[in-house]
Amino acid sequence: MSKQNPTVMVVEDEWLLLEAISKKLKLEGINAIPYDNGTEALKYLHDSADLPDIIWLDYQLKDMDGLEFINKLKQIEKCAQMPVIVVSNSASEEKVHNMLALGITQYILKAKYRLDEIIQMVRKITDDNKNVK
Amino acid sequence: MDTQTAHPKTNPKLIPLFIFSASTVALLSILFFMIMDSFNLAIVYFMIGLIVTIVLNTAVAILILSSNTPKQVIDPSQENKNIPEGNNQELNTALALKEKELEAIRKMGDEIERKAFIDRTEAAATLASIGEGVVVTDPDGKIMVFNQAAEQMTHWQSSEAIGKFWFETVPAIDENGKLIPRKDRDMYKALITGKKVFAHSIYLQRGATKVFVAVTATPIIFGNKIIGSVEVFRNIGREIEVDRMKSEFISLASHQLRTPLSASKWFSEMLINGDAGELNAEQKEYAENIFDSNERMIGLVNSLLNISRIESGRIIINPRPTDMHELVSQVINEIKIKSDIKKQHIIFSIHSSLPLISIDPILIREVFVNLLTNASKYTPNEGEISVFVSKKDNDLICQVSDSGYGILQKDYTKVFRKFYRGENIIKIETDGNGLGLYLTKAIIESSGGKIWFKSEVSKGTSFYFTIPLSGMQARIGEVTLGS
Repeated sequence: MSKQNPTVMVVEDEWLLLEAISKKLKLEGINAIPYDNGTEALKYLHDSADLPDIIWLDYQLKDMDGLEFINKLKQIEKCAQMPVIVVSNSASEEKVHNMLALGITQYILKAKYRLDEIIQMVRKITDDNKNVK
Repeated sequence: MDTQTAHPKTNPKLIPLFIFSASTVALLSILFFMIMDSFNLAIVYFMIGLIVTIVLNTAVAILILSSNTPKQVIDPSQENKNIPEGNNQELNTALALKEKELEAIRKMGDEIERKAFIDRTEAAATLASIGEGVVVTDPDGKIMVFNQAAEQMTHWQSSEAIGKFWFETVPAIDENGKLIPRKDRDMYKALITGKKVFAHSIYLQRGATKVFVAVTATPIIFGNKIIGSVEVFRNIGREIEVDRMKSEFISLASHQLRTPLSASKWFSEMLINGDAGELNAEQKEYAENIFDSNERMIGLVNSLLNISRIESGRIIINPRPTDMHELVSQVINEIKIKSDIKKQHIIFSIHSSLPLISIDPILIREVFVNLLTNASKYTPNEGEISVFVSKKDNDLICQVSDSGYGILQKDYTKVFRKFYRGENIIKIETDGNGLGLYLTKAIIESSGGKIWFKSEVSKGTSFYFTIPLSGMQARIGEVTLGS
């Protein structure tokens, strides 16, 4: 995949939201790797050589929560430094604090932002990350 | 008591004796004078006769007197009979009075005893009926009173608890199960500081079962001395459970309500943006209506969640030194997006030497957002909105004024009520859920400040609020606004 267009793994268990995000990313010229559960998304990250530039993660998944996902992600060495943006409708202050402590890049409230705005944030994080590299 | 001088009184029985003696002496003198025809001899016999008569009379008098002398041992039952009649009456009256007094005293005593009994019974019944545990201690913390609710909550019988140290009898632990030392116990603090202590605590019942309690420990002060303490405590286990359920509901509502709202928001956004093909003007208008309505719904859910957080006391208050100029300017910039559309003019003035104030910027920001949003919403086009931030005495004082529709006088008492919207503005502005000012007031009051307003219909409204310059008190909660 071309590195000119960033690749975003979207982990979101609400099918409608996953569809909206994936379509919007595609329209914006961003590659999307959509997953509706944490287990399969982690398996992909573990097994695949074609890694995303950023993970768009819903906090409340059916098979695990965001904290568990991030903890498991950190155990995959090649993904340990991968930026993660948590987009959720419910996470207590304590959970957000814990996730930030684990190294997530950003936490945002899903219902508060338009897709346009979130995609801008994603672009900014991936651009900043490229510049650092 | 009457006093009388004692005079020796002549025994009336001696009077005839004296008359008889005197007559005898006189007759003998005349008789001797007539028989002896000698005056000198008559005098001699008269004298002899006189002496004999005196001796005889004296003997007779002694006999008479001895027979009349009252007995030395007086029979109490006969006492009154020996008292002269006049004195007896007085004494009887006095006695009757004394008896009446005695009866009155006896009755009074009975009444006092009856009242004391009622008081004791009432106090015991009251203590027994109180749903809260009541423990009274001496200045050392030794239990003196222990009511039935205290028995039920601690599983100690009052007969066993009384006389023991409260701190030892009912230990308290912290959330980690660590025993709280005596010096940190609420009652001890009240006894040492002389001040009332309110707290939540975890007590260990007899048998080491935990019981969650809300405690009020009050020192008993007599004169300037602390002579003991009263601790009132109640089981709040049920309240904690309800609170947990409420938290679960908030979590559920925030997730379950916001998720479909997010889907509506994003799909309508994509429609408006033409991501699914270009829309004609009418289709675009409809899609925008869906988007706006959805935004209102999201706002309502957020407000309800925020109110629930504030009311539950779980909100985090995290004060940090804040530049008020920067905070208010940021809010004004956000509001300007809408106020500019209405061509409203915003004036902002701030005290030139205002120090950084220790406030929770998230909470105070919410206050300014609500007041300024209202000011813009309820002010006609080309109106004026002004914000003043200053200090007065020990308070930071903020004012948000507008030249808007104003508040009807009959609505004054309802302005800060949940879900209330002024009758005059409902017709003008449909957007609004009546939660903003309720939330604003709750935030200000939980920050130790006050909020009030002045208004004139068709002229405008000014809201004022204060925050102590010393800053807001921190609170370790669980949630923040908007999370």
